[in-house]
Amino acid sequence: MHRQNYSLARLSLILLLLLPLLLTGCKSDERILEKLGLVQTASYDLAENNRIKVTSCVPVIDPDSSARRELLSTVSDSIKEARIMFSRQTDLTVVSGQLRDALFGLKLAKAGLGDYIDTLLRDPSIALGVKVTIINGDAGRYINHLLEKEAAGNSIPNTTLYEFSRDYNDDGIDPVAPIVKDSGDKAVIDGIALFQEDRYRMKIPAQDGIFFGLFRDDLRQGEAALHLGEEDGRPVVVMFSSLLNSRKVKVHRLGPGRFKVELLANIQGSVLEYTGHHYLNKAGVRQQLERDIADVIMAKAKEMVSQMQQHNVDSLGIGIQIRNTLSYKEWNQMNWREVYPQVEIECKAKVTIKDYGKYM
Amino acid sequence: MPEKLRPFHIAVLMHMTQSGIVIFTLPRNLADYFGTNGWLFLVPCIVVSTFNIYLISLVFRLGQGRSVFEIMEQTIPRPVLYPFYGGLAAVWLVFGCMIGKKYVLIFQMLSFPTTNPMVFKLAVDILAFLMITKGIYSISKAATLFFWLSAWMYLLMLWFFPAFRWERLTPFILKGGHNQFKGAMEIYSAFLGYELSILLFPYVNKNKKAMAGVYAGNLYLAVLYISLAIICFGFFSLGQLKKLLYPLLDLLAYIQFPFIERLENLLYGLFLFPVLVTVVMYWWAAQESVRRMLPRIKLSVLSFLLIAISYSISFIPKTLDAVGVWITNLGYAVTGIAFGFPVLLLLLLLIQRKGGEVRA
Repeated sequence: MHRQNYSLARLSLILLLLLPLLLTGCKSDERILEKLGLVQTASYDLAENNRIKVTSCVPVIDPDSSARRELLSTVSDSIKEARIMFSRQTDLTVVSGQLRDALFGLKLAKAGLGDYIDTLLRDPSIALGVKVTIINGDAGRYINHLLEKEAAGNSIPNTTLYEFSRDYNDDGIDPVAPIVKDSGDKAVIDGIALFQEDRYRMKIPAQDGIFFGLFRDDLRQGEAALHLGEEDGRPVVVMFSSLLNSRKVKVHRLGPGRFKVELLANIQGSVLEYTGHHYLNKAGVRQQLERDIADVIMAKAKEMVSQMQQHNVDSLGIGIQIRNTLSYKEWNQMNWREVYPQVEIECKAKVTIKDYGKYM
Repeated sequence: MPEKLRPFHIAVLMHMTQSGIVIFTLPRNLADYFGTNGWLFLVPCIVVSTFNIYLISLVFRLGQGRSVFEIMEQTIPRPVLYPFYGGLAAVWLVFGCMIGKKYVLIFQMLSFPTTNPMVFKLAVDILAFLMITKGIYSISKAATLFFWLSAWMYLLMLWFFPAFRWERLTPFILKGGHNQFKGAMEIYSAFLGYELSILLFPYVNKNKKAMAGVYAGNLYLAVLYISLAIICFGFFSLGQLKKLLYPLLDLLAYIQFPFIERLENLLYGLFLFPVLVTVVMYWWAAQESVRRMLPRIKLSVLSFLLIAISYSISFIPKTLDAVGVWITNLGYAVTGIAFGFPVLLLLLLLIQRKGGEVRA
């Protein structure tokens, strides 16, 4: 009993000696929430003379203040230098640990994003989940919520630092990112920006985003409104919802450096709206509709693929598929950028209407 | 008679000793040194470590569970052995110390960038001191508790399944690596820790099950390493994985909830448990060797002295890279000991057997 008391006393003594050390030790890393400027959205754009215009949006926590967020903006030579400049503009300590969105201007995207993505990833306080968005126009706008919703619908792929850097560093696929347009008082989704390595090359308009999504990967949720031509002068639209898609790829080797790739999208979904004049409860009508939908999808996809080949962007990851049929030596000796535009790519779609709602 | 360690506790203790700070860099090293499908290199590592454990179990069996120090001192005069003991103690002491320092430096980089890391190191060392003074049985009990506190984290691997793609693993086997000998040694150091089981002989029951615990701990570790490595190779692209210094940190940072960002700070804290056990076990091993030379010194005084020495040594390397170099070089020595020590003991045992001087 005496021994136990003794060791307890010794333990408390050690802790007592240690306490002031630990309490004062972290003084320099003390963070008081009210004094922090937690950057949630940061935007980067190319300014004159290859400098960068950086804008950061910082929420104001002070309950007495009428402003809910503060915009900080500066022109500097690097992303992180801008943060130092921000600290001079405001009484808050600007930190990037809560960054959710990184917006890049189109001009910067055309010049290449690689270095900036690297900088963001180097910072230990920035996570891989930061969303990457391209802005067609002034990159300094606040558009968090809009992006959140669109990405959930899957027609525009949600791109984070993780995905961008993953595809950028992979030799068989090119990265993509949503692109947003500044239309006066609102910001709207403009489409999907396709990159060649880290440089912006072309864009797929927002209404065609779903066709891109179907052939890039499996989808677990999506929606598409398809125009199937006209009937009695009225457009026939079918609204295909709750899309489930599984993508399959077949690679055929035609000769040295010549390939044929078949992309098969197996799509299931429900029809929520149909403006044609047939009754959907007839099996024949539905089968015809399935074929019509597939034809529209395939035509769109064909057009899209030929554009991508023209711009030499392999956003669908055809390279990965071809790489995985070759030997290491063959793949390394091949210049994929030269081969890619010549690859015969065939997009096939098989559509199944799971149900058509609760009305005939 | 103090209580003996049970096989389950041995398994957990060995597993916790083996898993440490290396897990943060392991997938990156596999990708960098061995290229495509580098995780396959873990398989020979498992075979080699299992063989090493087999050597240790031979020592256990042939020596009939006697302490390894007794085995040596029976044939070799004590003064001759002292430099050897001193060498063992020095290597183990500094190895443990550098592992602790690396953990602290990464912790500092993540959470407290300007605080003096030696303050945290002191806190970790005091924890280790308190554990060591309680003896091996209490260490193993604490290790079991720590195991349950941190083992659930491996379930977080499920989080990465949606983004996992087998295509990214590529069909190429170990292509595009470099410096493979250095790489092999660095990767093998991820398995080190089991060799300390050679010092546990006096604390276990003399039956076969004791060594089964060591095998089990090693196998469990191997399963975890392989699954983590496969996830990294299918979640990140190869080029990306090579660029990430601490892929596990990035994995943890990818886990995101709407209400909290930078979860990795929290989760990294939990890795203190396996790291602490690793440090404690290496220091305990050093203490066991020194105690053989200075049998009269009080145990708590000895622990205090050893930890004070190691704390002063840990002031020397200041940067993460410098600590990495220390760990790599000491890793060579520790690997050498892991193989050399049991082989030496087996030779001695064979000599003793021939001379017919085996004591029952």
